[in-house]
Amino acid sequence: MTRRRAVHEPGYVLHTYPYKETSLIVELFTRQHGRVGLLAKGARRPRSALRGVLLAFHPLHLSWSGSAELGTLVAADWAGGQPALSGIGVMCGFYLNELLLRLLPREDPHERLFAVYAASLAQLAAASDRAAVLRCFEHRLLDELGYAPLLVRDAASGAPVDPGRRYEYDPERGPLAANGSAGAVDGQTLLDIARDEYSRETTREEARQLLRALIACRLGSQVLHTRAVLAELQDL
Amino acid sequence: MARAPLPNAPGLDSLIEALRVLPGVGPRSAQRMAYHLLQHERSRAAQLARALAGALASVRHCSRCNNFTEAELCTLCRSSGRNPALLCVVETPADLSMVEQTLSYAGLYFVLMGRLSPLDGIGPRDIGLDHLLARATDGIVTEVVLATNFTNEGEATAHYIAEMLKARGVTASRIARGVPLGGELEFVDIGTISQAMLDRRGL
Ligand SMILES: [Zn+2]
Repeated sequence: MTRRRAVHEPGYVLHTYPYKETSLIVELFTRQHGRVGLLAKGARRPRSALRGVLLAFHPLHLSWSGSAELGTLVAADWAGGQPALSGIGVMCGFYLNELLLRLLPREDPHERLFAVYAASLAQLAAASDRAAVLRCFEHRLLDELGYAPLLVRDAASGAPVDPGRRYEYDPERGPLAANGSAGAVDGQTLLDIARDEYSRETTREEARQLLRALIACRLGSQVLHTRAVLAELQDL
Repeated sequence: MARAPLPNAPGLDSLIEALRVLPGVGPRSAQRMAYHLLQHERSRAAQLARALAGALASVRHCSRCNNFTEAELCTLCRSSGRNPALLCVVETPADLSMVEQTLSYAGLYFVLMGRLSPLDGIGPRDIGLDHLLARATDGIVTEVVLATNFTNEGEATAHYIAEMLKARGVTASRIARGVPLGGELEFVDIGTISQAMLDRRGL
């Protein structure tokens, strides 16, 4: 097992689980090490310096030592600069975290995705178009995992996607031109997803369905708990 | 740490295992507790066993506020001196007793006995939200005060309840957060000061 340490590494708490009497297992998403699981000894003691710091959605600077599988958190400092999420924003944040927890393997660096995650949280805190933030994140995540969806060419003919046509979407291959009004999505929707453009109503609805289906393929039999709650609250 | 089971004391093993359900009690403390009870406190251990069995048989949830009680309605819900138009929602009985100690709240309560925590698989159906909804829309309640914790989970719970109530025309409010009373900025954690700065108000 490789010995590793990190000093003042930018990162976010994805989730924490109680461990033994007073400790926590902390699941983190860090800039240079990707997803990391650490033991935070004594973090649940009433006077612990880590209490009130190990919160999801806040930029932190983290230092740890020990093995990659389960190292020990040495310090966590508030990096600040971002307001807390509130209301529906918290639920959207839980959704991003659940996606990362279920789809990112540990110790697999994803610096670009880290930047997208940080920007997404800032946008969720600023109450911008939350549905668009979620769609862009889902798209980037698929990209980073090596499953970038084909959006601009017909998978069978290789022809450029026609915004005026309807397409079926084969999760393994990509868009396939459909007959007339059949098919799952407008060509326009595919082109909109490709350039992160979510102002069109039909695009919003179809993109939500399509990206959900593509993510479901990567999740296999795992269920996303946060999605059900989000759907109940709003069509996100 | 792994502890080899004692070949002649399966009862001891199952006691140690049972004690681990207590919050913050791991295998080592559970073992210490079990030895202590059996070695030095045998009569009081019997008392503990009787008290536990008795509580399990008699304690249930109040049909109005969901708090623990032995009657159909708890004392608070039966008291005539409270304002029934105000309903304060808390996560736990411990939170309720904290709000009671302030002596600054004269309404009634609803105890969720939990919070939404989607990442742990705890959704709206796993806490008493249907029950709360029925209570809040009984025509007597005019304001629901959301006093769930200021954790991400508590915040999500408050939001979910507020949305549920808004759809049914019930007013919801959220307790304020900020620097603690008597708190000197120098000794307050950064997150709290940061939030207090964002939530500042005009004078
Ligand atoms: Zn009651």
